[in-house]
Amino acid sequence: MMLHGLHVPLMSTGVPAVPAADVIVAPDLAWAGLILLLPLVSLVLCGLCAAFRVRSKLPAVITSAALAGAFVTSVMLYLNYTPPGEVVHLLDWINVSWGSGAIDSFAANFSLYIDSLSLLWIMFVTGLGTLITIYASEYMEPDLGKGYARFFAGVSVFLFAMASLVLSDNLLMLYLGWEGVGFASYWLIGYYYQRPSAVAAAKKAFIVNRIGDLGLALAVYLIWVTFGTVQYDELTTVLQHEDWRTSFEGWTTSAIPYLLMLAAFGKSAQLPLYVWLPDAMEGPTPVSALIHAATMVTAGIYLVARTYPLFMLEPTSLHVVAWVGGLTALLAATIGMAQYDIKRIMAYSTVSQLGYMFLGLGVLTTYGAAYHVFTHAFFKALLFLTCGAIMHGFAGQLDLRKLSGLRHLPGWRITSWTMLIGALCLAGFPFTSGYFSKDAILAEAFVTQGPGFRVLGWLAILTAGLTAYYTFRVWFRVCAGPAAYEAGDEHHGDEDHSGHFHPHAPRLAINAVLVILAIGALVAALPYFMSNQADERLVGGWVADMVHDSTAREGIPGFHPGDPAHAGGHHHADGHAHGHILGMDPHVAMYWISGTVGMVGLLLAAWLHLWRRDHADALRRWMRSRVWIGWLPRAMERKWYVDEFYHAIIRAPLWILGHVCHAFDRFIIDGIFVDGLARVPRGVARWLQPLQAGAVQSLAVVMVGGTMIILLLMALFMQFGWPGGSI
Amino acid sequence: MLGLLLLAVPLAAAVAVCFVPLRAVRVLALIASLVTSGIALAAAIEFGGWGSGGWGLAFSCDLLPQFGITFTLGADSVSMMLILLTALLMPLAILGSFTAVTERIREYYAWLLVLTTAMTGVFLARDLLVFYICFEFTLIPMYFLIAIYGSTNRTWASIKFFIYTFLGSLLALVGFLYVAWASAEHSGVWSFSIPTLTQFTSTAMTSTEQTWVLLALMAGFAVKIPLFPVHTWLPLAHTEAPTAGSVILAGVLLKLGTYGLYRFVLPMVPAAVVEWAPFIAILSIIGILYAALICWVQTDVKKLVAYSSVSHLGFCVLGLFALNPMGLQGSVLYMINHGLSTGALFFLIGMMYERYHTRDMGEIGGLAATMPIWSTFMVFFVLASVGLPGLNGFVSEFLCLIGAFVAGDAGAYPGVLGPWFAAIAALGMVFAAMYLLIMVGKVVFGPLRTPAGDHGPLPTDLSTREIIVLVPLALGCILLGVQPDIAIDAMSGSIAETLAAFPELVTNSTEPLASAGGMP
Repeated sequence: MMLHGLHVPLMSTGVPAVPAADVIVAPDLAWAGLILLLPLVSLVLCGLCAAFRVRSKLPAVITSAALAGAFVTSVMLYLNYTPPGEVVHLLDWINVSWGSGAIDSFAANFSLYIDSLSLLWIMFVTGLGTLITIYASEYMEPDLGKGYARFFAGVSVFLFAMASLVLSDNLLMLYLGWEGVGFASYWLIGYYYQRPSAVAAAKKAFIVNRIGDLGLALAVYLIWVTFGTVQYDELTTVLQHEDWRTSFEGWTTSAIPYLLMLAAFGKSAQLPLYVWLPDAMEGPTPVSALIHAATMVTAGIYLVARTYPLFMLEPTSLHVVAWVGGLTALLAATIGMAQYDIKRIMAYSTVSQLGYMFLGLGVLTTYGAAYHVFTHAFFKALLFLTCGAIMHGFAGQLDLRKLSGLRHLPGWRITSWTMLIGALCLAGFPFTSGYFSKDAILAEAFVTQGPGFRVLGWLAILTAGLTAYYTFRVWFRVCAGPAAYEAGDEHHGDEDHSGHFHPHAPRLAINAVLVILAIGALVAALPYFMSNQADERLVGGWVADMVHDSTAREGIPGFHPGDPAHAGGHHHADGHAHGHILGMDPHVAMYWISGTVGMVGLLLAAWLHLWRRDHADALRRWMRSRVWIGWLPRAMERKWYVDEFYHAIIRAPLWILGHVCHAFDRFIIDGIFVDGLARVPRGVARWLQPLQAGAVQSLAVVMVGGTMIILLLMALFMQFGWPGGSI
Repeated sequence: MLGLLLLAVPLAAAVAVCFVPLRAVRVLALIASLVTSGIALAAAIEFGGWGSGGWGLAFSCDLLPQFGITFTLGADSVSMMLILLTALLMPLAILGSFTAVTERIREYYAWLLVLTTAMTGVFLARDLLVFYICFEFTLIPMYFLIAIYGSTNRTWASIKFFIYTFLGSLLALVGFLYVAWASAEHSGVWSFSIPTLTQFTSTAMTSTEQTWVLLALMAGFAVKIPLFPVHTWLPLAHTEAPTAGSVILAGVLLKLGTYGLYRFVLPMVPAAVVEWAPFIAILSIIGILYAALICWVQTDVKKLVAYSSVSHLGFCVLGLFALNPMGLQGSVLYMINHGLSTGALFFLIGMMYERYHTRDMGEIGGLAATMPIWSTFMVFFVLASVGLPGLNGFVSEFLCLIGAFVAGDAGAYPGVLGPWFAAIAALGMVFAAMYLLIMVGKVVFGPLRTPAGDHGPLPTDLSTREIIVLVPLALGCILLGVQPDIAIDAMSGSIAETLAAFPELVTNSTEPLASAGGMP
């Protein structure tokens, strides 16, 4: 029986539970499989293009068409969507069964679980995928006929894996997508495979992610052992069951959320596993925008949201999520403040913003987290793509000290202004999309009861200020001020006859995508004001509807009201348990506070990086020369020495252990035991008969000797019986 | 009759290869092995035991009736799958050797064909002595393949390979003979029939006796697998063996050990297995992690892949001793999958070696720039090996681990392992990603570094012949990754049979190791 609890009203309202509705297994929706199929087709075609050395832009055309098709399919699915959702079975995968007991069967198939949460994700994933592919068709031009097809094949793999991750109806197919996106990321980070730093970054990304994947794998085992299924709909049914608490009490239910968390922190680059993401900037910029900013890195948030009921079983785990998120946000922001490479700044900013999203999950606002994912996808993709356009035009130049006043240069106006829009959103400038989505999270930190959540809230506000500062540090340095630039070192025919460098301004494809994304980033504020259909008392409009309509809403079906974890989880504008900040409603207060903090950060950036750039250098010099504060800029510039720390405590010991094992294997196991023992019969043989030590002779000796030993033993058995035996 | 043909055709071809004109040798060997594969395929299609259990390919005639020795053949679904794996790998191994082996080619192909017969014989045998003879006989062709066609240190490697595995098997033989003798004592009639002896040992033997038999059999099979700490012959043998030798060694010969565990150890001495499973599982987990760490510091690509076999086979053994259907399905699937992906990796390394005459990662690197096709295959098979979902390695690794994970819980198949076994073994997943990706990062990617040398007659990138060698393996990886159900369903009957004794035994063994009195 496939039951589903999406209908059940929130328990905190006290409305009695309505019987769960059946999730329809819908064969007529088999066309939803197109979302998976189209990227696969595109992969094959791109592979053929690579094999036949196609020199045109055909791979880009194929991929964008396929992804556009997937996007249209997603939108059609959304238009056809009726709650609570549907399961579409595509293909059998693993089905093992050997009895009728609780854990005597295991089933995980290629099936799609179409509910509002997966639809929300798949729409922006395919939509942004299409746009960024179009952008990349121009961006990757220098590689036409070389790596062009390989690049788009990688993008196709990524979209396939991401779609599997988001749409799967069970945790194992999610795992497939999970590792698949990791692989696609490996492929694309290492795209410039002759550059050692790119290869190292790709490797690092895959390995660090594997640590997270280990957590996911173990979580899948535990979930299966505990609940007897890894399919979402059955899981929901089990959780709805009245006496789930008595049946599933134990260490497994407590361990599951922590393992899932490990996976989420790996994929979404949180402490302690965030270190791969900044290095991932070695990949081509469209990849950074698509995979490492907008879509893949949000998979961790998706995972937690999707398995939210399991987190609710262990309230402490959500506190950990909140703290890790909040601290990562702060840490990454401080590193981002002190970097000079604009792409890296954006990378740390992504880590920081993902931290916000986890903070949101931890303080019981899955809606806030999802909304921030949604807005962040637009404005961060936009920011990366503008960085990419600059990098492309200035021969790989990314140092913000060597670029200035781009908005005055011919052809760079669109880039500069769209970058400003992205920066405003990221900085949380009032009435931009980022402003609303960030506030949803910040306010909730003050509302939800939890250990130190208020402190966390103030830290998050501080982070918001830092965010505004580092974002506008980039924009004021690069786009504002007097026009000046220095080219990077990746020339591809941009010099004129005298060897003088000319930046080449972005053309139609790049500019069009930038404009569309800028509009998208601004329009992403609108869903906040769309009225709620699910429950008019909900805050947050359309995105809130999408989240609350799924398993990701706060509280689980059948969850008993009055649970401490749930007590603070208000979601209603007229909520009774509302906390207060400065005597105001948290949401209202937050509009003021975060708006003000953002402005302060912005003005600070304007002072140090636009009006008085010399002051910034003076300040840095002054700080570095003082003993009591000098460590701070140094540590921030060196990324708090986290990479060095991991190298010292994990990689180096393991590497030494590897050598120790190797030496042990060679000299002890093989040297002393094996070869040492082998010398004994050889010595005996030499003593008996000085043969030329040829191979065949040795073998003969051993064979004859062995047979004799056996015969002897057999004779002994016959005579005396088996030692200890009773026959 | 098909079973007999499977053995006779390669053997006859091996004789024929010695007499045909020199230029016809390769073609004849290839055709013969293709014919053998065709027979295997026909047998598989005709085979009625898929899914349900039961035996096919039956053949029997008396050899020494007074000792109950008969020449009995038969295959259940698991044997059948391993026969199919052999049938897939052998023609590829022969095809893959066309340019690599240029001297003494008659012997070379003759030995490969003899090896086919011996390996198929192991999987087909239903008589203990036939099994043992075939099991031992695989050593001789392999010995010559390494000793004649290997690299610089080949003599030492071949002798070590031979003596080490031979001594192990002798201990297994002692165990077998004891079983046969005890059975004869018991019933008064000599028999070497595997079903009879299995029936006898599993029901009539005390747990102490079973323990002795277990130890004897493990001595033989553990060396062959190889299980930590009796694995040291493998890296040496692999590094020195010619490409086809390595492929067969990793692809099929190692599976003789795990197949031995599956066919003999588990069903024959279940009581002892229940007692010793945690111990063996710990050895296999040590092997997984230990070999993985060693892989990390290797500079020789082939040695790295050889050690990775030790690590991977650890998962396979762990799955077997989970003593539940998931673990066993995973383990048998692992045997096939490891044959496909590691076999292919050895092919790829051989192809690289043929061109550059080095396997040292310090000397060679960045081959993606000059050999894109080779690099694509390399990355593909490394990913299969790492266990990327959607490819074959993932499913088997997943099933082995989840099998070990739930072994210990009171389901339909309670076992004697548990979550910690799986959790620690799962670290191997991370390590595998580390060492294999580091290898790919050095050899395939990065700036191009190649030693001076000539390609001989070979093109820079893969030739069509070499691509033909790799494509079937790649297709196998995808097929078993996307549709593992085909194999899992097919083997379920055989696995239920093997496991028949266990649920009850585990439940009853309240005090493990208590009855193993006197054992260390």
